[in-house]
Parts: sequence; structure tokens; C-alpha cells
Amino acid sequence: MKNQRKKRTLFMQKICRFCSEKIQYIDFFDTKLLKPLISERGKIVPSRISGNCARHQRQMTEAIKRARSIALLPFSVEH
Amino acid sequence: MRNYQSVLILKPDLEEAQVDQSVEKITSILKKFGGSILKLDKWGKKRLAYRVKKNKFGYYLNIYHTCEPGKVPDLEKEYQLYELVIKYLVIRLEARDIERVMSQAAEVSESSETDGEENSKKDSTAEESD
Repeated sequence: MKNQRKKRTLFMQKICRFCSEKIQYIDFFDTKLLKPLISERGKIVPSRISGNCARHQRQMTEAIKRARSIALLPFSVEH
Repeated sequence: MRNYQSVLILKPDLEEAQVDQSVEKITSILKKFGGSILKLDKWGKKRLAYRVKKNKFGYYLNIYHTCEPGKVPDLEKEYQLYELVIKYLVIRLEARDIERVMSQAAEVSESSETDGEENSKKDSTAEESD
């Protein structure tokens, strides 16, 4: 049973969340959308983990960088 | 004439009158560079993700405007010199992006006003929980 589950997660196909919601343009101030795509440390999650397509990953990266520069998202977590 | 979006962070301890005053000032700055405001949003006081000039909070202004293409560096300089602005961001928008923004604005104004009030209530409770 356990083994089966593991196998399923291994081969689960990842879907780009922007493609599935048909988002054309990623607004940099939409922090609700961007928050899940940064790690606990504030790093951008790579597409190999998030499953985003290359085009949306590029747009998203730019959006996150803009959000950082206007203090909507952190560059790194404050300590 | 190109379309731009400016996001400005003003000092957090401003009163509404001062905010309106700064909006007027920004309008005059834009006029100087041959631009005009297309749409203005006040996001209000928000917590900053990191400290900016020792401020933990900031008053956000989001402005969609036009400007002469070569004048953006001068515009940014004006923002820097304006003492109420603690941080700014100017980005260029393509024609289709600005159309999208304006059509969204039309939709929002069409929907009933009670929605907006509910949202503002939610916002205020969120701030309290912080």
C-alpha cells in the first residue's frame, strides 16, 4: 500500500498552475498568487518543483522580483 | 506617449489630507513630463516585507499613467527628491496590458458597491490580527 502511494507521487504529472487557470499576465502586486511560489526562506521555487511551464515561470520570476523591489515580498526572511 | 505603472510607498504616518496633497503633487510632476493619470488606486497602509528607511509600514499608491518616453529617469529623480516617498517602482506597460487594466476597472465599478464595503471590513480585521 505504502509502496503504491510512493510510486504514484513519483509519476504524478505536474501541471502549470497559471496555464490551468488561464492567466495571461501575472501582476507583480498579486501577492496571494505569488506567495506559494516562494520558499520559507523567500527563494523562488524552481519550475522542476512547482511544475510551472517555462513561459509562466519566466513571467512569474519577473513578477516576484518586482514585488521584492517594492517591499511586497521579502528578499530574505528577517531574523 | 507610453503607458507606465508607478507604485509609490509613502510614509505610514500620513493623514488623508496629506495623502491627497501628495497625489496632487504627483499629478503636477507627471504633467511636467507630459503625462497624465489614467487610474489611481490607494492600497492604503500595508506592512512592508522588509524595513525601508526604518519604516515597518508604508502607504501604497498605485498609479497607471502616461509619460514621455525619454523622461522616465527624470520622473524617478523627482520621486527620489519628494520627501514623503520612501520607495518607488516605475514599470512600462504594453498597450494590451493597459487595456486589460482599464477593462478590469470598468468591471469593478459596474459591480455593486456593497462588495467594496465588505472588502474594506475584511482588510481592517486583517490589520487588527497583525
